[in-house]
Amino acid sequence: MKLSPHKKLDVREILKGLEKYQPRRKGWSWRKKVAANRIGPFVYKDTSESLTNSIPLPAAAYFDNIDPQSDVVITTEIASGRFEDDLRRMRMAAWHGADHIMVIRTTGQSHIDGLIEGTPEGIGGIPISRKQIRATRKALDAIEDEVGRPINFHSYVSGVAGPEIAVLFAEEGVNGAHQDPQYNVLYRDINMHRSFVDAAEAKKIMAEAAILQLDGAHNANATAKQAWKVTPELFVQHAINTAYSNAAGMPDDLIALSTVPPTAPPAPKMQYDLPYAVALRELFAGYKFRAQQNTRYMEADPMEATVTHVLDTLISRMTSADIQSTITPDEGRNIPWHYNNVAGVNTARQTLMGLDGLMEQVELKQHGPLRENVRELKERAVLFLEEILEQGGYYAAVGKGQFVDQGYFPERRGDGIMRDPQGGDGVDTVIPREADYGAPVCSHFGNSIYAQSNSRPCDDYGGCTLCDPSKIQYIDELDAEDTVEQRLQQPLADRAAGLVRPEVEKHGDSIVCVTLFVPESPRVAEAAALEMAARMGLKNPEVISRRVMHPAEGSVFDIKGVLDVAINVNELEIPASEEPLSDEAIEAWIRPRNIHVVAATVGEDEHSVGLHEILDIKHGGIEKYGFHCHDLGTSVPIERLLDMAEETGARVILISTIVTHADIHKQHMLHLHELAKQRGMRERLILVAGGGQVTEQLARQCGMDTGFGHGTTGRDVGSYLVRVLQDKENG
Amino acid sequence: MSCVERADDFEKRREKLQAMSDEELHHHFWRLVEKIVEPLIEEARSHTTPSIERSILLRMGFSSIEARELVAKIQQHNLLGHGAGRLLLELAKAKQLSIHEAGSALLSGQYWEELPV
Repeated sequence: MKLSPHKKLDVREILKGLEKYQPRRKGWSWRKKVAANRIGPFVYKDTSESLTNSIPLPAAAYFDNIDPQSDVVITTEIASGRFEDDLRRMRMAAWHGADHIMVIRTTGQSHIDGLIEGTPEGIGGIPISRKQIRATRKALDAIEDEVGRPINFHSYVSGVAGPEIAVLFAEEGVNGAHQDPQYNVLYRDINMHRSFVDAAEAKKIMAEAAILQLDGAHNANATAKQAWKVTPELFVQHAINTAYSNAAGMPDDLIALSTVPPTAPPAPKMQYDLPYAVALRELFAGYKFRAQQNTRYMEADPMEATVTHVLDTLISRMTSADIQSTITPDEGRNIPWHYNNVAGVNTARQTLMGLDGLMEQVELKQHGPLRENVRELKERAVLFLEEILEQGGYYAAVGKGQFVDQGYFPERRGDGIMRDPQGGDGVDTVIPREADYGAPVCSHFGNSIYAQSNSRPCDDYGGCTLCDPSKIQYIDELDAEDTVEQRLQQPLADRAAGLVRPEVEKHGDSIVCVTLFVPESPRVAEAAALEMAARMGLKNPEVISRRVMHPAEGSVFDIKGVLDVAINVNELEIPASEEPLSDEAIEAWIRPRNIHVVAATVGEDEHSVGLHEILDIKHGGIEKYGFHCHDLGTSVPIERLLDMAEETGARVILISTIVTHADIHKQHMLHLHELAKQRGMRERLILVAGGGQVTEQLARQCGMDTGFGHGTTGRDVGSYLVRVLQDKENG
Repeated sequence: MSCVERADDFEKRREKLQAMSDEELHHHFWRLVEKIVEPLIEEARSHTTPSIERSILLRMGFSSIEARELVAKIQQHNLLGHGAGRLLLELAKAKQLSIHEAGSALLSGQYWEELPV
């Protein structure tokens, strides 16, 4: 299946032939680092191979549209509940640089004792099933071909069906997974014996399928009120899962520690988070690090979250990270919206690019508070381990509430999570293996009579599914009503009819978000804002973010609501876009004609960069085509432009107008048009305006021949001028 | 049962650790972790669960639905400690059936008395 950048993903095509689909590869893929990577005008130190298709960072427009890619994998987490909508979200995220797609499971899957089949809709995630995995992996195969980089697909091997899910993931080419029995114990109240016994089998299966494992320690950050105080325990949780994974046969390079800087401003983040990050990397040298961003203190303000996430990413660069995970900036207020997945990925991408080469210029001090704090954290962790053994081991310690206590260990607040070793979901399901116990399959952990022989344990019957994938039993659907095919009917009908609605998460959800500032006291302002949203026609308006600017002067609100409007795209009047002429064609026509252009930034305006971009030969401006350009500089009166045009016999005047206070940019355009008319020059001249707030339509309304906004190149302007001048020549 | 409450007595407790170099402290850390993990991994080596057994049947080519039914029935017969996979393989060999035929036979109630335990 091949994607075309200008065509939407066809979910029906993805669903075809899934019963025969086999993954093209197994195991995790890292980015291919490039040592001194020359991209555009720069040499990067911490980057990897570039993509074949991507959408660069916004400011790339000023740097030849370069899109350098960091050397670390970038994660985005996806959780809409409908995988068919998630696929589009994955494609958008991949175009912005994500290559680790983490699919959140539906609420409650941890407690389902067995596999789910088919494509039922989920809540806050999707029900992980074979069909859903195959469809997603097949779509990601096509997306990775489109962007030109392997994409890692990731979900969860936890709950009471861990070993079965691990087999499913190994069979279906899932590349990464969370696996940490402590997560089951502490947060899902699954029996601890069951969790650990299951985990060893699951880990063995994952190891032999080269699935990268992430642990679950970061959840303690998210649970504790004062997250920085659980840091000693985090070392312990990481260590237990790491050592247990090693013992189950997992190699070091498949073990990734999932770590989060525990604080957020206004806490003095670097004082706490940097020593923690350094201590972790020292104690766990040789393992991989998945750096997650902080969610504990996120509320409704996406800008605040973004700043915290930038600082988190700075810590990744100052220490190390193999994977930089991202949190959508709206996670504190709703299930993430798809464009916020892209926003989160871009926060990491932009920060990592900005930090390129940092650590060859600075180093962390080897004396002073950093080292003292690093040492202290390690010692506190050691004391925590000693106490586990004093309590009688891991199970007993959890039973006595030693874990996720809010105290800074060895301080204990007495509010830890207590679990009964003889209780929880799945209690009494752990069965001793008899002396003749056997498991005639590959990737099995522990005692088995088939483990003794030199041949494969599955040779007796021609191979297990891990050796012979043709034996995998594919089930399409179990519930005829709750399927992707049923859910697709509406989107497909809408598309056939040309109907389009706004969306943030799922097809046709019609959710929009408006920002309103109301100059009143907070409660009055909020009531007014909701009323305004209702009068805009938004159904079910709801405040999702409120920030007081001043107790009396006003507050700003983000309000989401349903805009129940379907637009028929066939009825839209869309101005035709014209492909600019080639450089050669422009130059061939202009150079012999000696055409003069007068240009300036007008009014009281000192912005000069935009005009240079259009004129200057060094920036690819129109000089290179043979235009004779007279740049009069900045803050130039309109009269002077016309004087110069008269003097040089110019055919073109270009004005740049950036400042827009009191619509001054419109005044400048109107003034130029009127004055040219008065002086009898309007017919001969082509008047062109440019600027951030200028559009073609606005410029024409203000008497210009055309206008150009952001992102315009010299070629666009040159091409336009050639076409107009040709028309004039041809009468 | 209430949990322990204790003030932060780190300064006192750390005394015994202070003489250790960083390297020694790391070594001590990992020795303690190994001691904690040892009994856990030993339990895993010598025990099984319904999910492990179902995962083995999946690997032997059964569907998730068949694996669930088979493991539930084997558990009802108190035979899971012998390994669901082993019971099926040995039954198939003894009766000259394919693995899948052996599973279908057990699900239809056949051969339960003849399982090799």
